[in-house]
Amino acid sequence: MRLLYKLFLGITALFRKDQSEREMDEELRGYLEAAVKDKMRSGMTPDKALRAARLEMGSVDAVKEEIRSAGWEATLGSLWQDVRYGARQLRRSQAMTSVVVLSLALGVGANTAIFSLIDAVMWKMLPVKDPQQLVLLSSHKTKEGRGPTYSGYGISLSYLGFERLRRQHEIFSNAMGFVPLGFSPESVTVNIDGQPTLAGGEMVSGNYFSGLGVPAILGRVLNDEDEASAHRVTVLSYGYWTRQFGRNPAILGKTIVLAGQPFTIVGVTPPEFFGVEPGRAPDFWVALADEPGPTPWGVQPKQGQSPFTDKGWWWLMVMGRLKPGVSQEQARAAMDVWLQQTLTGDMGFSQSEARSFVIKLGPAGQGLDSLRAYLSQPLLILMAVVGVVLLIACANVAALLLARAQARRREIAVRLALGASRARLIRQLLTESFMLAGAGGLCGLAFAGWGARVLLLLMSGGTFLPLDVHLNLRIVSFAVAVSMLTGILFGLAPALGSTRLSLSPVLKDSTSGASQTARGPRWRLGKSLVVAQVAFSLLLVVGAGLFVRTLMNLEHENLGFDPHGVLLFGVNAKQTGYDGPRLVSLYDRLLDRVRALPGVQSASLSAYALMSGWCNTGSITVEGQTKPDNATVWWNLVGPDFTNTMRINLLLGRGIGEQDTPTSPHVAVVNQALARKFFRNLDPLGRSFSFGENFNPNEAWEIVGVVEDAKYTDMRSEIPLTAYVPFAQAGNPGTMHFEVRTMGNPNLLIPAVRQAVREVDSNLAPSDVKTQSQQIDEGLLQEKLFARLASFFGALALLLAAIGLYGTMTYTVGRRTNEIGIRVALGANRKQILKMVLREAFALVLVGVILGLPAALAAARLVANQLYGVKPSDPLTFSMAIGMLLGVASLAAYLPARRASKVDPMVALRYE
Amino acid sequence: MADRATELVQGTLDMLILKTLALEPMHGYGIALRIEQISKGVFRVNPGSLFPAFRRLERAGWIKPEWNPTENNRRAKYYSLTDRGRKQLKAEAYEWGKQIAAITRIMEAS
Repeated sequence: MRLLYKLFLGITALFRKDQSEREMDEELRGYLEAAVKDKMRSGMTPDKALRAARLEMGSVDAVKEEIRSAGWEATLGSLWQDVRYGARQLRRSQAMTSVVVLSLALGVGANTAIFSLIDAVMWKMLPVKDPQQLVLLSSHKTKEGRGPTYSGYGISLSYLGFERLRRQHEIFSNAMGFVPLGFSPESVTVNIDGQPTLAGGEMVSGNYFSGLGVPAILGRVLNDEDEASAHRVTVLSYGYWTRQFGRNPAILGKTIVLAGQPFTIVGVTPPEFFGVEPGRAPDFWVALADEPGPTPWGVQPKQGQSPFTDKGWWWLMVMGRLKPGVSQEQARAAMDVWLQQTLTGDMGFSQSEARSFVIKLGPAGQGLDSLRAYLSQPLLILMAVVGVVLLIACANVAALLLARAQARRREIAVRLALGASRARLIRQLLTESFMLAGAGGLCGLAFAGWGARVLLLLMSGGTFLPLDVHLNLRIVSFAVAVSMLTGILFGLAPALGSTRLSLSPVLKDSTSGASQTARGPRWRLGKSLVVAQVAFSLLLVVGAGLFVRTLMNLEHENLGFDPHGVLLFGVNAKQTGYDGPRLVSLYDRLLDRVRALPGVQSASLSAYALMSGWCNTGSITVEGQTKPDNATVWWNLVGPDFTNTMRINLLLGRGIGEQDTPTSPHVAVVNQALARKFFRNLDPLGRSFSFGENFNPNEAWEIVGVVEDAKYTDMRSEIPLTAYVPFAQAGNPGTMHFEVRTMGNPNLLIPAVRQAVREVDSNLAPSDVKTQSQQIDEGLLQEKLFARLASFFGALALLLAAIGLYGTMTYTVGRRTNEIGIRVALGANRKQILKMVLREAFALVLVGVILGLPAALAAARLVANQLYGVKPSDPLTFSMAIGMLLGVASLAAYLPARRASKVDPMVALRYE
Repeated sequence: MADRATELVQGTLDMLILKTLALEPMHGYGIALRIEQISKGVFRVNPGSLFPAFRRLERAGWIKPEWNPTENNRRAKYYSLTDRGRKQLKAEAYEWGKQIAAITRIMEAS
């Protein structure tokens, strides 16, 4: 009630501001008149009475100000006044305003952009019903040995296990199974109206969509009936529907051919649903079914085997929805009991085998965390980098405002003398800072949306990484918080500094400055801002140096093969129904076709393209020899002429050739590392080994050649013990990757290669078409991103620091014109003056460097695991960074120093 | 007025204004004069604190302003006590009496 009354009075006063001002004037005038009259009555002359009354009253304006500030609306009113006054001030110095707003926009924008990525990767929940109830089951083997084997990351159960899990309803209200249809994102041949294309899909249990709570925006989603009756139906993702079918609603009921089998489109999922694995969006979903066509992980089992009946092959991912009221702890305990019972029960594992298995439950409300696992550290590093850039920008803006506050000393002194309180002035100055910060933040937000998308593109190497980086409340509040914080950060110091004045010298001083204060506290503040900028810049320049050197080391790493002029593409003929000898002969035919293309020097094929990140590993046993320690062998299935095509040097014997057919004796080529490990100084040629689990252990493979060491999966890994085995002899290869060496630009071959594949079988489409160099670049994506962004931000930091130093030195030289004039008059020569100013600048930079060094060292150590071939404390990088800083600093300091040395003593002395 | 005027005891100005207005509505100078006269010149209120106090009390709803003609046919802002103000004055007077008695006891204790 009381509050309401106050509110009412305040608002009336606000709206009737003029009237209330007039009444205030009238009231005060009345008071004065009454006082004068009273004093005259007690015998004073009119003159004296007036003077006495005025003296008693003091400054009328001060009294009015006091009255105004007694009501709450005054704060609001004066705030508005501040804003208008601030806007006027900012408009008057447009150049400074735009520099400040621009640098803040860059700082806030970069921070918000990275933050929105972090938000999308690390915090965003899946767009499903009650995501916090979801858990992902991931199985782990506690000890080596026999027992279930599985493929890949995040695997939960075998299909048999899943069937048993969903039959019980104690733990989960719903258990949803899903599995990708291949290892790479686009691994399924989709034939639409006779045109073969590639897409990525998932095979899911019938309750997948209903369990997640994802509806269809068109048609229907998959249901239990689809799984039970193995309906050949598919649901498309919104993205795929858009890309392939232009959002045509008439596609419902249309038949498309997935991996050789016709499927009917029955529905489309909502646009915000990208599947459950951030960064990997399926194009379509089909129901789990042990039928021809798409298979789990795209793996084609041998005759008579099926992933759906194999108890030892764990390949299904399972997400559970916790029952309301069941905690994750309870569910985990129940899962443990269930797992042991099931494994030793009708699944027929022994007690000890079963005990080596545990299933962990992890929160899955944000989806699977593979993307999170590999992006969070890079993103946090980037966040730190842009955070430092923002700090530097703040320091710069603070320095600018400080300089401007110097220029406004007279204005501030006058306002203080006229009765403005210091708090009032500080508020005014802070209002201006906040306005700058607000404008910078707004521009930054606009810039952030764009920046996040560019970053996303950079991070995914041109291919679309399906992440939702749209602005949300969290991101906007982050941007607002950052802007406000910067406003306080860069605004407070100058505001406090410039209102602490002793008035009379400033007011007496007819010129704009007072030289005696050049070394006062404000000047120290300016200097420490420069020092801070230098220290922070060192941090970023060192970081940029380390990342650039990492990239250089990786790019110049000896691969052991020649990646230039090689085109790669994959073909999965097995999915199209080829098998056994027909499969091998198809690949042979295709190889012949490719070899015959004009411009092709040589061509071969292998199960995995080099540097693609994929590999086979296993153990081998050599006849009559005990197994050495750490002897994991990485093997690859290759076609004839592989080592020659990749230019891997042959050291002994021969490479895999045409003579190695399915029926000829089994042979292998090994690399030097393997030969050295197993045979030391003995001649490896003619010796045999057998693969442990992966092939028939009774089959012996005779070594017919030794080649030089070459990298296999990626740049960073040590070169592994490698064996190359003829794909024709290894039984049943799935997708094979072709390597085509040409003399010219390999990209020019692409149309011819596509044509060749289509001619061999019109149902085949080449996948992952790229050059070997592109393949390597993709593996270096993150390193490239780091090197590029760190260099960019390092350069930005240097530029900002240079501007800061230049500004500060120019300012100090200007202040000391008088002093310098006297020095020159007393006989100092130009060189000495130049040296004096430069020395001062260098002292600042050196202090900055000394402060920045330990910080840079510590920061470098934090990112040590992202570096390659360079120590975090690499002396070369550090000295180059320091050298660069000093170079830029001397440039920035030279101009003001030269100006100082040109000071004409007469002019300087007359100046004051 | 030989004695030098003393600063008002902290926080008592509001109460003194309310007390002064308890007799009759008055304008600003009248209130200042009354306080000075009754205190025999010990307390002198300057406009810089008097007018903000009016604004404060008005906002609290304890006094009510009204423009009335003065003796010499000008108009002046007269303040009068509201019912809530009367209650407030009573409460403050009671509080003040308690404090003054306590302070006196302390000062007179030997």
